[in-house]
Amino acid sequence: MKLLRYTHLNLSILLFLLLGGWGTFFYYTLTGEVKNETDDTLDNYRDIIVGRILADSTLLDTEAPIVHTYRIRPLTTEEALRYRDRYCDSTIYIETEHEYEPVRVMKSCFRATDLKYYELELHFSTLERDDLIAAIFKYLIALYAILLCCIIFSTRLILKSVFRPLDLLLEWLELVMPGRPAPPLDTQTRIVEFRTLNRAALAMHERTTQAYREQKEFIENASHELQTPLAVIGGKLELLAEHDNLNEEELQYIDDIFQSLSRAVQLNKSLLLLSRIQNRQFAATEKVDLNDHARRILQLLSDLYEDKQMIYGWEENGVCTVRMNDDLAHTLLMNLIKNAIVHSPDRSRVDIHIATDRIEIVNDGPHPLDPQQIFKRFYKGNGPHKESTGLGLSIVHSIVSLSPLDISYHYDGRYHFMLKVLKREIRSKESQIFPDSGRYFVSTKHYNPF
Amino acid sequence: MKILLIEDERELRETVRDYLIREKFMVECAENYAAAMEKVNDYDYDCILLDIMLPDGSGLSVLTHLKKMRKQESVIIISAKDSLEDKVAGLDLGADDYLAKPFHLAELNARIKSLLRRKKAGGDTSIVLGNLTLYPDTRQVCVEGAELTLNRKEFDLLYYFISNPNRLIQRTALAESVWGCHIDQADSLDFIYSQVKNLRKKMKSAGSQAEIKSVYGLGYKLVFDTP
Repeated sequence: MKLLRYTHLNLSILLFLLLGGWGTFFYYTLTGEVKNETDDTLDNYRDIIVGRILADSTLLDTEAPIVHTYRIRPLTTEEALRYRDRYCDSTIYIETEHEYEPVRVMKSCFRATDLKYYELELHFSTLERDDLIAAIFKYLIALYAILLCCIIFSTRLILKSVFRPLDLLLEWLELVMPGRPAPPLDTQTRIVEFRTLNRAALAMHERTTQAYREQKEFIENASHELQTPLAVIGGKLELLAEHDNLNEEELQYIDDIFQSLSRAVQLNKSLLLLSRIQNRQFAATEKVDLNDHARRILQLLSDLYEDKQMIYGWEENGVCTVRMNDDLAHTLLMNLIKNAIVHSPDRSRVDIHIATDRIEIVNDGPHPLDPQQIFKRFYKGNGPHKESTGLGLSIVHSIVSLSPLDISYHYDGRYHFMLKVLKREIRSKESQIFPDSGRYFVSTKHYNPF
Repeated sequence: MKILLIEDERELRETVRDYLIREKFMVECAENYAAAMEKVNDYDYDCILLDIMLPDGSGLSVLTHLKKMRKQESVIIISAKDSLEDKVAGLDLGADDYLAKPFHLAELNARIKSLLRRKKAGGDTSIVLGNLTLYPDTRQVCVEGAELTLNRKEFDLLYYFISNPNRLIQRTALAESVWGCHIDQADSLDFIYSQVKNLRKKMKSAGSQAEIKSVYGLGYKLVFDTP
């Protein structure tokens, strides 16, 4: 539930109850007051009538006309002594109208000039009073409804404007990634807490970026600094290997060192390539024909698969073009295809299927790979290729995440690596995230077959 | 042939120098920007090996200075930064070649020789080793005047061998030079074996005096004994 809705709902429920309670209280107080007023009027009548009767005892035998009527009835002394004034609601039948009308009845006792006790029964029509109360009720309900609506609506507006900086901050936070320039956070709010929050978010992003940059620089510098010592070791080894009086065992040692050295060199190169890809040093993009790349790569690698007596299946159902860096496209396909060849058993088969929006590379292999792990750095499955750097697929992943592509892997007895071209998605994502940048940023979603 | 080696790392400088001296080059060294500028101003060289990152300046400034002085030296940039921008910047400034560290000395040697051949007057870039002649421009090989038909890989292999005669060539160096940097699996270099075997067979049947020999475990050597 969104914070805005939650707050608003709670406020609305509270207001609904409070206003309702207040309305009910108001209604009953008001109607009580109106009824009291009627009773006071009846009291006045009684005083007037009793006063007149005391002055003129002939009035004892009279009755008042329609609506405001009174009746006088003699009481015994015992009745009179126990008598209490009473008010009650009742109805009387009006003959002219042929219907019952509501009346307020007052019964009171007085002693006339003849020293006898009489009961005075006064009727007071409450038709108008009930109309008044009905009107009050009607207006009160209307007032309640309108007030509630207005308050709920205006609190929603206010809350929305209050939470606007928070919403903007949240949107911003979702766009922020370490290593990428932060989009501007322009929420000009007067609220101190939000200002502090914005400041803290910006500062945090700066710190993350700083840490990220330092880490990247460290890897890059370390790799660069390693190049020279690696070159020295290689050079010295070459010089050493040329000595004439080396025996087989010594040559074998030198070869072993050389193997390890070339692995170190390769690792270093791959790490540098990775950090260069992530530093976006391959910014220039163009329309790349992946079919052509794949074809050339197969040509380049012909010695590799011929040596392993492998065959390849080639299926083209259209030209797959994608807007990306040409060198990266080459590296991407090179890594995928070479991986397929190197990690296949001898005399097996590699299949390459190309359609307009996808390239699938399928090769044989006995063990399924862990789809959660394969694109991570230094993942090496459980195959026999201990010499591999474990960076090939990581490089693939880096390239894919910077291109309008997606890669997925699944295993069904053979390894399937599927490159998909994202066309529509990328356009919307691009304009949504970095409207004025020519680069693509798409998350890579790994397909998990299990 | 005089070569100036501008490199600030002592170990690397000495290693390269030793290797090139064995190739009968005259090698002079400069360990920093100041020394490099001094040598460049005072002497002429056939080839300059230039490290870009020097402690007191950029190798690229040395290059700019050379071009301003209209000097004819061939320049090979040796850089720890294997980045496209650096390469493009260096070549734009007039460098003739670019080699990223770490490199095989045999590769460096081959590049230097190729540059020097191109500079040679008359434009004759052919390489002769005994009765074997290789024409890099037309990609032809002749033994005793008769053409030897080689496929692309075999030609590249022979070109590399002939640039480094009588020197031990590591398999990895061959792989990198002939197959490119995409071959990086240390355990999958067996395919080189069959290619070299074919080349060796062809050379032998054509009667070449130079001969490719395997060096146990390490690689190969193009052996030619000057009579």
